Amino acid sequence: MKQVTEGSQAVSEAVRLAKVQVVAAYPITPQTHIVEMISEYCANGTLNARFICVESEHSAMAAVIGAASSGVRVFTATSSHGLAYMHELLHWASAARLPIVMAEVNRALGPGWNIWLDQTDSLSQRDTGWIQLYCEDSQDVLDTTLLAYRLAETVSLPVMVVLDAFFLSHTYEPIDIPDQKAVDAFLPPLSPRFQLDVENPAAYNQFVPPQAYMEMRYNIQTAMQQVPQRLERMAHDFNRILGRHPHLAEAVQCEDADIIFVTAGTTVSTCRQAVARLRAAGERAGLLKLKMFRPFPVEFFRQILNGRPKVAVVDRNCSFGASGIFAQEIRAAMYGAESPPQIFGYVAGLGGRDVTPETIEDIYWQTKNNHSPPAENMWIGLDPETVASWNDPA
Amino acid sequence: MTEYKHPDNKIPLFLPHSSVSTELNKTGSWRYVYPLYDEKTAPCSAACPLGEDIARIELLVSQNLIADAWQTILIENPFPAICGHVCFHPCENACNRAHLDAPIAIHHLERFIGDTLSAESQPAAIQPLPPNGKKVAIAGGGPAGLGAAYFLSLLGYGCDIFEASAAPGGILRWGIPAYRLPQEVLEKEIDRIKKLGVGIHCRAAVSSEMLERFKTRYDALFIACGYGRAIDLKIEGAHRAIDGLQFLNRLRSGENVSMTGTAAVIGGGNTAIDVARSLARLGIEPIIVYRRRRQDMPAFDPEVEMALEEGVILKTLLAPVGITDATGTPTNPNSGFSIRLQKMKVSATEIKARARVVPDGDTIETLQVDHVFSAIGAEPAETWQHVPRGDRAPIRLSHCELIAADVPMIYGGDLTNRVKSVSDAVASGKQAAIALDSYFTSGGDAVKDAVASCGVGPGPAVSMAIYLGQTRKERNPHIVAADEINIHYFKTAARMKAPIASVADRVQSFLPVAATLSQKTVLAEARRCFNCGICNACDYCRLYCPDMSVIIENEQRTINMDYCKGCGLCVAECPRNAMALKEEGV
Repeated sequence: MKQVTEGSQAVSEAVRLAKVQVVAAYPITPQTHIVEMISEYCANGTLNARFICVESEHSAMAAVIGAASSGVRVFTATSSHGLAYMHELLHWASAARLPIVMAEVNRALGPGWNIWLDQTDSLSQRDTGWIQLYCEDSQDVLDTTLLAYRLAETVSLPVMVVLDAFFLSHTYEPIDIPDQKAVDAFLPPLSPRFQLDVENPAAYNQFVPPQAYMEMRYNIQTAMQQVPQRLERMAHDFNRILGRHPHLAEAVQCEDADIIFVTAGTTVSTCRQAVARLRAAGERAGLLKLKMFRPFPVEFFRQILNGRPKVAVVDRNCSFGASGIFAQEIRAAMYGAESPPQIFGYVAGLGGRDVTPETIEDIYWQTKNNHSPPAENMWIGLDPETVASWNDPA
Repeated sequence: MTEYKHPDNKIPLFLPHSSVSTELNKTGSWRYVYPLYDEKTAPCSAACPLGEDIARIELLVSQNLIADAWQTILIENPFPAICGHVCFHPCENACNRAHLDAPIAIHHLERFIGDTLSAESQPAAIQPLPPNGKKVAIAGGGPAGLGAAYFLSLLGYGCDIFEASAAPGGILRWGIPAYRLPQEVLEKEIDRIKKLGVGIHCRAAVSSEMLERFKTRYDALFIACGYGRAIDLKIEGAHRAIDGLQFLNRLRSGENVSMTGTAAVIGGGNTAIDVARSLARLGIEPIIVYRRRRQDMPAFDPEVEMALEEGVILKTLLAPVGITDATGTPTNPNSGFSIRLQKMKVSATEIKARARVVPDGDTIETLQVDHVFSAIGAEPAETWQHVPRGDRAPIRLSHCELIAADVPMIYGGDLTNRVKSVSDAVASGKQAAIALDSYFTSGGDAVKDAVASCGVGPGPAVSMAIYLGQTRKERNPHIVAADEINIHYFKTAARMKAPIASVADRVQSFLPVAATLSQKTVLAEARRCFNCGICNACDYCRLYCPDMSVIIENEQRTINMDYCKGCGLCVAECPRNAMALKEEGV
């Protein structure tokens, strides 16, 4: 059934359809609408779940870790500083192999205090052992959240479903909300691999000596490596049951492209429009949608980008002292490819600054007009007067 | 559980997992602070002149253990029913619950306990210590004398009370009107003293000569004759005023007092209020005339409030300067009095709790009434009743003074008390008993320390339970402050509504103003109590302990120090500050 839905609500609807049993969350803009709606569903009986109000994000993650350890399906959501506050427990959740699903709304970190889109919060958590899936629109949000539960429960790793602050979390668009029956067919109830059980007292995750710790880590790595093929199979299942094929990565008009954009989140939609305009003007532009960031789909990237002349990566994030984080990952992925492209890294749209089709077109011409990247990272749309003012010795 | 077949083949999982007990890992070795059960003092109990263990009493009531609650009062106060009727309940002013909603109705609960247990065949009261062979003569059978006899008897002393009037009770019998204290309540409670074997000799007014003779027959003397003589008005025509205390005495004796019209009652203390409220019940219109302001009145405020409800008129900042016969009043054309009243004002130079007042110019008001009563206070009737001053300096305590001698003399009750209340009088008897006992066992130098060591909190209240070395002795004297209560554990709940009769009914008779509560109301009210500082076995310490180190054995909680890491969660969660966290090795 098509319904005009806010991006945040797309998450809540997926959580409802997934029949989540325990939710714990602490409110933070722009994540608040997600848990508000879930708390209403819990209160009015639409969702038969225990909603645990906690005093912090650290406790929210601790609460869902506890609940997941007892073998129930759980959910939490956060953003920005809330995610940073969870950091310690993100490591715990993955190493404890708990199939937790969390919605993370990309928001800038302070200072300067800013509630708008920026991807640095989730990308700072890339080494925590969480699977990260970036969403383009509300339909993508709903589908990805449902997919996330089956994926998490298959590989015993937590999944972060990432959506842009406001551009996605607070935007309404018509989406298809599947019926419960269809979702039930795709997503069976959780059958925990292990669980705390008062009848069989046991301790999990206690002291591990050097003789075993490394194998434990290797086990996580092999699980991560399984994700792309597992996800691909699930996507087929999803398509069979729910009539849509969610892609873990998507190549748009890349076959003959001279310049291929790579980006994630709502910027993908903006790029689609820019690519269409450039194509109409006779330019050979293409787009690679980055959906799954962890594990990084190296094979897929090599397959699409190998032999293409140039790639323009649009990062709405920055690892200071290096470059945009997506650009780094793509450089690393393409190193050793047979015929790697020139990789141009652009940093744009931080802290909610607009990235319009015109911005993308500017990036296209900059990429086209340079034989090779003039720098590791190029910042788009900086105000020259402001920059000049701090460079001015007077 | 039947295994569910998941559509996806699951991947291999390598996880640390153990079914072996972790007891081997003695996490207690990580500890640098440790928790302990540390019961503290509730503010109500420290505010109670008698130091009653109110937090424990309300806990017992909330569990419907009324007889146990009664016993818990009896170790500190022989008169639960009397105090339940007449005490001015300073405990409620100290109640921490006021910071959440309203104080516990401690006074009404005490009355319920006292009335319920007096009505039943009395269960075994406190068992006295075996007789020690010593005898004490007690001058005065009022609340202080009766209190001293009770506590001395518990400590094994033989006691003889010498009472001037025809029956024991003092102010309880002759001063307090029946609507505040019914006679049968008084009789039942005095019976408790008699059953202990105390000799009560009535119509036996003590004189200074008798006192000398007592010194040859007794080991100690307790002087608690109260204030036997009313203070003179010392104004022109003062003889025209009826003495208020005598008037109350006549009413309690059953004398048929027939009066009509209006009456002026001069004074601002509890006697003035008792007189005025009694007059209202006789159909007379009482007017209280007081030289200071309402807030300066020594009368207890709830009493003043009730008097005003019952139609008593209060005229303040007026000092009588003369009373003359009148040629007629509006109600009595042929008799009555005319009182000349000097208008007063608060002195600007000195503002204290009780304001100093000075004449406000030459303004004189005249009040025409049918009767005039004087209730401006009382003083000792005889000079020997004053505590002697001079070379035999007494050991001064908060509620009595002891003169060290071969036969020690101890003065108490109104003769020494700063606050003239029934509870303070009984407290004086208790303090005197403890002082005398420690004098006999350890000598005069030990008295002050002995009394101080059984104090309830840092205030003057002393506890017989502590003196006798009962478990209450373990209580930390720290008074639990409101911000030490873990308020998250308590929901607001309305204070019970006092079952006070309507004003119209009240002024019709001398029947009690307040009814005894229903058991349902009592239990609900007692459950509101925070039980400040004492363990009520709520078990939150055990539930929150992450190391399962809170052990319950024989209903006693202990900490298993082998595993307690000293995280302090139990102490933080304790709703009522009955635990503490201490540093190891300090």
